[in-house]
Amino acid sequence: MPYFETAQEWLDQSNLLLQARPATTRITTRYSIKPARTRKSKTGDESATDDAAATTETKPPRGSLVIKTYDPESGVVLKYRTTKAAEVSRLFQSSLGRLGRGMAAMPEPPVEEAMPDAPPAGAAAEGASTPTGTAGQQQTGGGGKRKKKGKK
Amino acid sequence: MPSSKSHLSQTEFFDQLEKLFSHRKGSDHGAIYLTQKRLTHSEDATLPSPDEEFPDLNLSEPVPILIRASNGKSARERGDKVRISTVVKPDDLDGFYVRYADICKAGMAALKPRDRSKKKAKAKKKKAGP
Repeated sequence: MPYFETAQEWLDQSNLLLQARPATTRITTRYSIKPARTRKSKTGDESATDDAAATTETKPPRGSLVIKTYDPESGVVLKYRTTKAAEVSRLFQSSLGRLGRGMAAMPEPPVEEAMPDAPPAGAAAEGASTPTGTAGQQQTGGGGKRKKKGKK
Repeated sequence: MPSSKSHLSQTEFFDQLEKLFSHRKGSDHGAIYLTQKRLTHSEDATLPSPDEEFPDLNLSEPVPILIRASNGKSARERGDKVRISTVVKPDDLDGFYVRYADICKAGMAALKPRDRSKKKAKAKKKKAGP
């Protein structure tokens, strides 16, 4: 099975698979470390032997992260691979977290755009804050429509 | 390992997961596998019926999910095999994933760090070059 180019593609497809088969789909993350490939220096250089030893020591082993969504019943496999540490927290927290909610049959989390407009917990009691609250809702409605258009 | 058969509590699981990662840190090879799936018991799973073709799609309430972690050792190396699991209740999901992401990020030290200095140096070179 080929790998997806972007994490977003992987997430979208995984989400669809999970919606279709929530009970059997699993997500496996493999973090693997492999020794760095050492480039063999050409023989003939007098200092090569010493340098080679030095470079192998300085080169740290390479790690990679492969994230795989698999449904054993239909045999669908969706994969994404990365070597960047910067992607880890996003992949785990938002992607795996979101898919985890799907697995648990939890309702979809609120749209992220709505978050800054969301009234604070205590705002419900205050009458003055209601106009801003409704304005925020209208905005999020617009955001939702835009998203639907994007999907086409 | 009979102890690994039962699910750990969340805090125990995180402790073990950290150990699993720290064990990898020193070595130059190896892997860690993390899996998540819906927790189902085959006994009480509702079977598809003509009335309801996909009972899994219309659950009345959220179900817990199962998180597993292992160091990927085969049965032959049973002595070294580490296999842990925990069950996360629907209400705990958000908190769990925050912690989970932190530990995994800290543990996956062999991944390429974000290297801004190199990029900046390259950009400077490009600017200075032509």
